[in-house]
Amino acid sequence: MSATSTSGTPLLETRDLVIRFGGVTAADNVSMQIEAWRNLAIIGPNGAGKTTFLNICTGWLKPQQGKVFLEGEDISALPPRKIVRRGVARAFQIPQLFTEHTALENLLISAAAREGLRNPLQSLHRIRQRDEMMHLLDLVNCADVADRVVVELSEGQRKLIDIAVALALKPRLLLMDEPTSGVASSQKHEVMEILVGALAEAGVTSVFVEHDMGIVSRYADEVAVWNAGNVQLRGTPEEILEHPDVIRDVIGEEVA
Amino acid sequence: MNLTIFLLALFDGISYAALVFIVALGLTLIFGVMRILNVAHGSLYAIGAYVTVSLSGYFLALGFAPVFAFPLMIVSAALVGVALGGPIEWLLLRRIYDKPEVLQLLVTFAVFMILEDVQRLVWGSQPYFEARVLQALGNVTVFGVTYTVYQLILLPLVATGLLLGLRFFLRRTVIGKLILATTEDREAAQSIGIDADRVFLFTFMVGAVLAGLGGALASPTTSILPGMGADMIVLSFAVVATAGLGQIGGAAVAALMIGLGRSFAVYVWPEVAVLVPYLIMVLVLLVRPEGLFGSPVARKI
Repeated sequence: MSATSTSGTPLLETRDLVIRFGGVTAADNVSMQIEAWRNLAIIGPNGAGKTTFLNICTGWLKPQQGKVFLEGEDISALPPRKIVRRGVARAFQIPQLFTEHTALENLLISAAAREGLRNPLQSLHRIRQRDEMMHLLDLVNCADVADRVVVELSEGQRKLIDIAVALALKPRLLLMDEPTSGVASSQKHEVMEILVGALAEAGVTSVFVEHDMGIVSRYADEVAVWNAGNVQLRGTPEEILEHPDVIRDVIGEEVA
Repeated sequence: MNLTIFLLALFDGISYAALVFIVALGLTLIFGVMRILNVAHGSLYAIGAYVTVSLSGYFLALGFAPVFAFPLMIVSAALVGVALGGPIEWLLLRRIYDKPEVLQLLVTFAVFMILEDVQRLVWGSQPYFEARVLQALGNVTVFGVTYTVYQLILLPLVATGLLLGLRFFLRRTVIGKLILATTEDREAAQSIGIDADRVFLFTFMVGAVLAGLGGALASPTTSILPGMGADMIVLSFAVVATAGLGQIGGAAVAALMIGLGRSFAVYVWPEVAVLVPYLIMVLVLLVRPEGLFGSPVARKI
């Protein structure tokens, strides 16, 4: 698989991304390299351009300048669904699940979308990937709610199922916008624990936007501090914590 | 009202309801998935009828048996769906999904007007009639009332089959689920790699095939002439609105109400017969503006 990303070529790379909304520069010459197997946390104040960056990488926003490369291949012009098929999946701040369907059906729909329509009239519940999808639900600790309709589930469960839906696409890279937002603070670590375990087992590199420095320092291999449309500082969590001034400016809180 | 008249009205109503339902099914499917009220649906119905009459007229003249018209009906419906439905979605509707509803309505109305004139250009304004097919399956006599098997058995059977088939298709099959998923959340569908454009194109073509099939099946029972498309779009819209937009099962009930209401009126109070479908619609919508089976907020088919 792609896990053996040739050294030298980053998994995902952006070069000189620029995007402006009216007078606001949401991406100001962003050049980033995301290495395979290094989970990257993105932190920064609201409006720093974190979500914009994820949207550009997944094709939902097209930059006014600059390019995005996936393992050296230019994917800047591709529509979102094609980028997904090449292995860059996305989980949104608010889970984008099909709420009138069951948890398992959401995964099956995802698997069917991944496989294409080889046998369009087959029953959704009989597709080959059913066991694989059940395993994914198990991986995110949601096997017991497989047959429940999504509207009935808790926010934490929806978050985890949303990640499972993304994993069903067999991505190489998963971009997550605040995976623990909306989850009760007492459960954040639990959700992250399950999530990171599932990602590791699926062999997926992740980039996640997060506000909670406790979570960042525990689950990220690297941190990129975003400010005013660009990366202000990048390093391991330990290195970032050596700059309390930056963190105070950027997140607006003291770090113990 | 004696038994004979009652049965005649009942049979008229059922066979008519079956035809209207098939057309309304396509209309409500397209609306349910794409949120577009396709006025051109009436033209697709009329063209389905014209193509069927032309094809079956040609083959019957060559000496083929009238039953041969049945496969030709399917061919005609498929032709309408692919050759007309496909380009309409691909060239026009795709550009206006995020436009105001008034504009969408105007565009599909324009397509309707264009196709009306195309019909006159191709088939002229003389009525066509091809009744041999109607007798192809023979007659059946119920309590002294003789009726064609085609209208009393085949049409309701096809309508029921389509209703059940479409429900199964949407709720059980892989592609049906992808359609429902795209209906529920287009962005989420695209973010898992579903080609929403293709889903809409396919859905529209299925809806167009249903319109064409309605016309094909109606062709032996009526004279085919300009204006039939306008009549049918108004009537099938009445059915869809009475049921609740996007309600597939509801459309069957509404079609029966309207079909039976109209046919009984023909025998009891002929002067108002043409008004009855719309009276039913108005009465239902006064009490339940979202239709019999519609819900004010939910958006599903």
